[in-house]
Amino acid sequence: MTLASRYDILVIGAGPAGLAAAAESVAMGLRVALVDEQGAPGGQIYRAITTTPVQQRDVLGADYWYGEKLVAAFERSGAGYSPRTTVWAVTREADEFQIGLSCDGGAQLIRARQVILATGAQERPFPIPGWTLPGVMTAGAAQILLKSAGLVPGGTTVLAGSGPLLYLIAAQFTAAGARVECLLDTTPAGRWRDVLRHAPDFVASPYAAKGWSMLRAAQRMMRIVKGVEQISAIGAGKLDGVRFTTGGHTQDIPADLLLLHQGVVPGINLSNAIGCAHHWDAAQACFTPTVDDWGATSIPGITIAGDAAGIAGARSAEARGTLAALHAASALGHLRTAQRDAQAVAPRRELERWNRGRKFVDALYLPAPEFRIPTGDTIVCRCEEVTARQVTETVALGCTGPNQMKSFLRCGMGPCQGRLCGLTITELIAKERGVSPAETGYYRLRFPVKPITLGELAALPQTDSSVDAVVRIKR
Amino acid sequence: MRYSIFSLVRQAFAGHRGWDEAWRTPEPKKQYDVVIVGGGGHGLATAYYLAKNHGVSNVAVLEKGYIGGGNTGRNTTIVRSNYMLDDNAHFYEWSLKLWHQLSTDLNYNTMFSPRGVLNLAHTEGQRDQYFRRGNRMLLNGIDAEWMTREDIARFIPHLDCSDNPRFPILGGLMQRRGGTARHDAVAWGYARAASALGVDIIQNCEVQGFAREGNRVVAVETSRGRIGAGKVGIAVAGNSGRVAGMVGLKLPIETHVLQAFVSEPLKPMLDTVVTYGAGHFYMSQSDKGELVMGGDLDFYPSYAQKGNIPILEEAVAAGLQMFPILSRVRMMRHWGGVMDMTLDGSPIIAKTPIDNFYLNGGWCYGGFKATPASGWVFAHTIAHDAPHELNRAHTLERFETGHVIDDKGAGPVAQWH
Repeated sequence: MTLASRYDILVIGAGPAGLAAAAESVAMGLRVALVDEQGAPGGQIYRAITTTPVQQRDVLGADYWYGEKLVAAFERSGAGYSPRTTVWAVTREADEFQIGLSCDGGAQLIRARQVILATGAQERPFPIPGWTLPGVMTAGAAQILLKSAGLVPGGTTVLAGSGPLLYLIAAQFTAAGARVECLLDTTPAGRWRDVLRHAPDFVASPYAAKGWSMLRAAQRMMRIVKGVEQISAIGAGKLDGVRFTTGGHTQDIPADLLLLHQGVVPGINLSNAIGCAHHWDAAQACFTPTVDDWGATSIPGITIAGDAAGIAGARSAEARGTLAALHAASALGHLRTAQRDAQAVAPRRELERWNRGRKFVDALYLPAPEFRIPTGDTIVCRCEEVTARQVTETVALGCTGPNQMKSFLRCGMGPCQGRLCGLTITELIAKERGVSPAETGYYRLRFPVKPITLGELAALPQTDSSVDAVVRIKR
Repeated sequence: MRYSIFSLVRQAFAGHRGWDEAWRTPEPKKQYDVVIVGGGGHGLATAYYLAKNHGVSNVAVLEKGYIGGGNTGRNTTIVRSNYMLDDNAHFYEWSLKLWHQLSTDLNYNTMFSPRGVLNLAHTEGQRDQYFRRGNRMLLNGIDAEWMTREDIARFIPHLDCSDNPRFPILGGLMQRRGGTARHDAVAWGYARAASALGVDIIQNCEVQGFAREGNRVVAVETSRGRIGAGKVGIAVAGNSGRVAGMVGLKLPIETHVLQAFVSEPLKPMLDTVVTYGAGHFYMSQSDKGELVMGGDLDFYPSYAQKGNIPILEEAVAAGLQMFPILSRVRMMRHWGGVMDMTLDGSPIIAKTPIDNFYLNGGWCYGGFKATPASGWVFAHTIAHDAPHELNRAHTLERFETGHVIDDKGAGPVAQWH
């Protein structure tokens, strides 16, 4: 749809957090629009829920179809909605924000008084030898194909990595009739000993029963190799097989498709470019925007909801979306503090419920350092083909951080804007220098957060203020 | 270690494990003869020429971050000397001459590429003005050449030289000896050469103040302690006002943001630098294939190293007037550098009212190309406590006396230049 030029609240991202935030804001009588990159609402977890060809419900599971309720509530709300829309800039203009959008090949600027980022998570980089070979992709990407187009892999498929999502994907593929040859679990052997203290909390959480049954199901349906210490994708020109080491013993298995996954991390490109403060989250080994318990960032008017503000899953994201909407409405003067707090009681209770057990999951599935921090000729930055060895050698030359590394090696300067190498580069430099990732820091990102064509930029509409900005001699 | 084909071959057989560090990383000493504040191209060049030309090697270069991390790493790498007024023309021409031998002099490949700089003219008035500038360049011994529209169409086939654009191209003023260089390599090359001559390059050392005795600066207070200084030179363009403020000087300089941006990499399509005459836009293609583009200044004073959307839109629109073929190319990155804007558009390389405190700044957006000559004359000014003949006019007092060097004839407002 065409968007108006001004909104009270702009929500970016149509996953659970964004859908809940938009619906809640409209219910409070605010003018709200939600923009999203995908063609249909749902985000990643409920991706393509209104359009998926996978109609047999047990394939994607009850947790997926729960999203229908959320999308229906959003659609009933009457919030403005613009799918296939990429946000490439958010800048402050007086007491509002100016948001640069690109939709179906045309760019436009709209304004909003409050912006809620519900930009979700991305898969954590999984830099192993050979991860750039054709035939290697992330498990999340394969899941996108399943949800949006009903595609499942043919040939011999190997899953590798760790985390609940890996097992969920394994179960979904099997239910959809695909055969998964083998699952290589990289969760470090003996990790359970470190996480026992979080176990009671997890057992009491809604995740425990589900996790247990998922594990059992996977064990019935495929070969699972535990305690994998090393993985490489092998092949000339394309993937031929997977080499892995477990218990000091290395073996090769043939594979046509290797799906990698070791958890998700907040997508921070937009919040970083806007200038929000971030911090290093040691428990999840990633940078996370610094937010208060409403999701408010260091920049007044920018609120972050859902996994973009720290990984906690879909149901938690939904509750955080509602809280972000309440905060934004109150910041607009639309809701008194007491009203806001009263309305926050229910979502906070939900949040508490769905955050239970998180510590256990985080601690259990934090990828081992050797899978986060590669060595040797393993590629770190895919866009500019920078290897781990080049990075460590450059640190030895005296390079202290990711931004300086850009001028030496150009890592992070390609089309992905550092999404696929940022964390790896930070941790690699930190390890080499013997300092913390927090001290090492992250790339300074600038707009456009996603590449945009020159034609779109040049065709941006002229406004009085944009003309003023470029005219030297003022009226 | 000297870099050469022989050292390269030797290292190739030894697995490239025997290369020396390019520059030393010393702890700051208690006292230096000269302290240069700012480890960009200008500061490092100044230290290099102090040691090489004037035998002053007890020199420290203090850099708050890492060398070349400020405007040296944020520009569009253009090198030219197509100035009209004598004071600028001679200065920038000397710079260009230094550029042409810089890689040899520093024994470091600065990747200087004399690919030419072409200014397009779109009106007859502009053409006349370019003739005038070109003729004055020739009289000053600088190469200049008029290219007709047909010449240009052959030279840059992708440029729209038809009658279709709103402002058709009439011709252009070409300086073939101009071109581009690798910006980071300039900082690294000067750092390596200066370090070899005994200069201490001290990174992650932020200047926080100056200690004065009477009308002299005696020490620099830094994040790594107090460093005694016989003389102090600052080369911190973008932050000149702030640093000079620490010693009580107020400069006729405003800081503005200048944006630049690059596209995704393309096959080679542009082997020169070309500027638009009917708006503010310029473009070249990097060795990597990315189109490197820039436009006009953000007109409000700011220290933010990022720019605004309207200027970007204006610049890109001008770019597509020239190259409609690029409309579907994606813009990949965008950044901003902070510019010292002076009131006549020309730099200040001069003594100051404080006896042993020297200023190198006010580069507007022309600082990168000036790097070698700037270091050359600033080193001379510091070593002799008197300007070199090439910077005799680039004083601080000219804004009081009215002897301004207004190359563009734009008047006394910083943002007009």
